Amino acid sequence: MWLIAGNTLREAARQRFFQFLLLLAFTLTFGARWLRDFNFGAPELKFLADCGFGAMAFLGAALTIAATAQLFFSEVDNRTALTLLAKPVWRAEFVLGKLLGVAALAAVFCALLTGLLSLVLAWREAELVRLLPDAVAPGGGVSHAMVALGGLMQWLRLLVLAAFTLLVATFAQSQLFSVVTGFLVLVVCHLQHLAQDAYVRAGSAAGLVASALISSVFPDFQVFQIADSLAAADLPATGDVLRVTLYALGYSAAAAGLAVVSFRRREI
Amino acid sequence: MGAPGPDGAAGTPPAIEIRGLVKDFAVGLRGLRLRAVDHVSFAVRPGEIFGLLGPNGSGKSTTIKLLLGLLEPTAGGCAIFGVPSGKVEARRDVGYLPEAPNFYRFLSGRELVVFYGRMCGLAGAALRQRVEEVITLVGLAGSADRRVETYSKGMLQRIGLAQALVHDPRLLILDEPTAGVDPVGSAEMAELILALKARGKTVLITSHLLGQIEDLCDRVAILDRGRLVAEGNVSELAGAPGRLSFETDALPSEEIAALRAWLESRGRRLESVAPARRRLEDVFRAHVGRGARSTEEKR
Ligand SMILES: Nc1ncnc2c1ncn2[C@@H]1O[C@H](COP(=O)(O)OP(=O)(O)OP(=O)(O)O)[C@@H](O)[C@H]1O
Ligand SMILES: [Mg+2]
Repeated sequence: MWLIAGNTLREAARQRFFQFLLLLAFTLTFGARWLRDFNFGAPELKFLADCGFGAMAFLGAALTIAATAQLFFSEVDNRTALTLLAKPVWRAEFVLGKLLGVAALAAVFCALLTGLLSLVLAWREAELVRLLPDAVAPGGGVSHAMVALGGLMQWLRLLVLAAFTLLVATFAQSQLFSVVTGFLVLVVCHLQHLAQDAYVRAGSAAGLVASALISSVFPDFQVFQIADSLAAADLPATGDVLRVTLYALGYSAAAAGLAVVSFRRREI
Repeated sequence: MGAPGPDGAAGTPPAIEIRGLVKDFAVGLRGLRLRAVDHVSFAVRPGEIFGLLGPNGSGKSTTIKLLLGLLEPTAGGCAIFGVPSGKVEARRDVGYLPEAPNFYRFLSGRELVVFYGRMCGLAGAALRQRVEEVITLVGLAGSADRRVETYSKGMLQRIGLAQALVHDPRLLILDEPTAGVDPVGSAEMAELILALKARGKTVLITSHLLGQIEDLCDRVAILDRGRLVAEGNVSELAGAPGRLSFETDALPSEEIAALRAWLESRGRRLESVAPARRRLEDVFRAHVGRGARSTEEKR
């Protein structure tokens, strides 16, 4: 399983497309520093962080969905899965190996970008402090723990997304279908809280059932917003972080389990 | 040719056992079904080379995939060394070369074989040594560091064979191993297969090159539209019992007439006289030796 994961990661690392996405994300994060060069203190740092995380969220989602579908179908379509599964390998190992490979890819992506964002923020903060000594209130500076937590949340979100996309890929016939469905899942998961609102307000029984169904099947990506600030004072409690982590792992495990079951039946 | 391998009598299970195997594929939207394998049963004894023959689309590759647990049978079942296909343990002692194989194009030949070796549980120095061994064995030593995407069709078959052999399995399943391989290469492959047999390995092979199968296999089975239509020893199936053929120096026509008369005087008949020919394959092999090959392996 680890071998398959490693091989999957190696395949991704040697692909131009993914190298390009990484470069693009780097540029965006770094370039945000020049995007608005009027010094307006602490809010500017927040703006930088939002830019960085925005790039991470958007490009990360694109990367994850494309990578999951592409890495899965490259095995099936190129018939390399035939040779691999003719070795003493469980089907479950194959599916979980793919998921781990994509998870590792997303982790590398998030870690690199979070690190870079931290650097950019620290640098800009130092500059701001020098230019406008009282722009950044004492204690109102950048909390790098908060930035790291933001990165972790991004990764958890991508992990859930990868597991769902993989589940779709195991029964889909084409890569395109998996990619499109992956994006739909992403949208649904983001708008999930609307469904929950509807669930509360639903007048009709049918609407009630539908919204209840959606909100129990799909995870709510709003829960990953717990690191939406830069101030150390806003650092959420460890319990909250753990709860969100378990939430993400639980959904990923469930989707991965279903993917294993669905892949066991697939003819290759 | 000749003696069948040791019999499975002494409690050792057959290398391959296929019983009443049926496979239907759903084709089209209206639940139309296509029977690719139709009640096929045969067994392969340990230590023999078994040929699975048949025209295109007769179900050879499907039978092999069912055997390896890559497809679910509709009915019937198969086992490898007594372990039912579908269990992971059944695949522990099998090397498989798929038809028209394709490999991770982003790896080099050596990395590829290392990867599959690891998948089979090899590691460390044993793995490295074994990888070098099989790469040399299949004749790719000069191109092992190139990416697989730059390989030719025949080289893909060779690296596929290396991958199948890396864990030194007792059973080798080769689906058209010589497709796209030049005559010298396929002769080398035939030699290799015979060498494996000499070491007690069992081989299941499919091919359209009947000449090659004939020289290689102990027994064959012939499939047609999913059904097993013939099975047996090559010498039994292809031999013409009670008949004989000669090859001599060139004879003048009066000597041929005398020979014919002599045979007729004893109540026999001389049925065919034709100039002896070498097979084109042998001519090719005589001209294109290993020396010519080394240009390909030059860096
Ligand atoms: N996945 C599939 N879905 C539907 N039909 C299939 C599938 N795989 C094979 N078939 C059909 O099953 C039949 C047997 O195919 P198979 O590949 O086993 O033939 P083969 O004997 O290996 O032929 P060849 O000599 O061309 O390799 C063919 O009619 C083929 O169209
Ligand atoms: Mg075939």
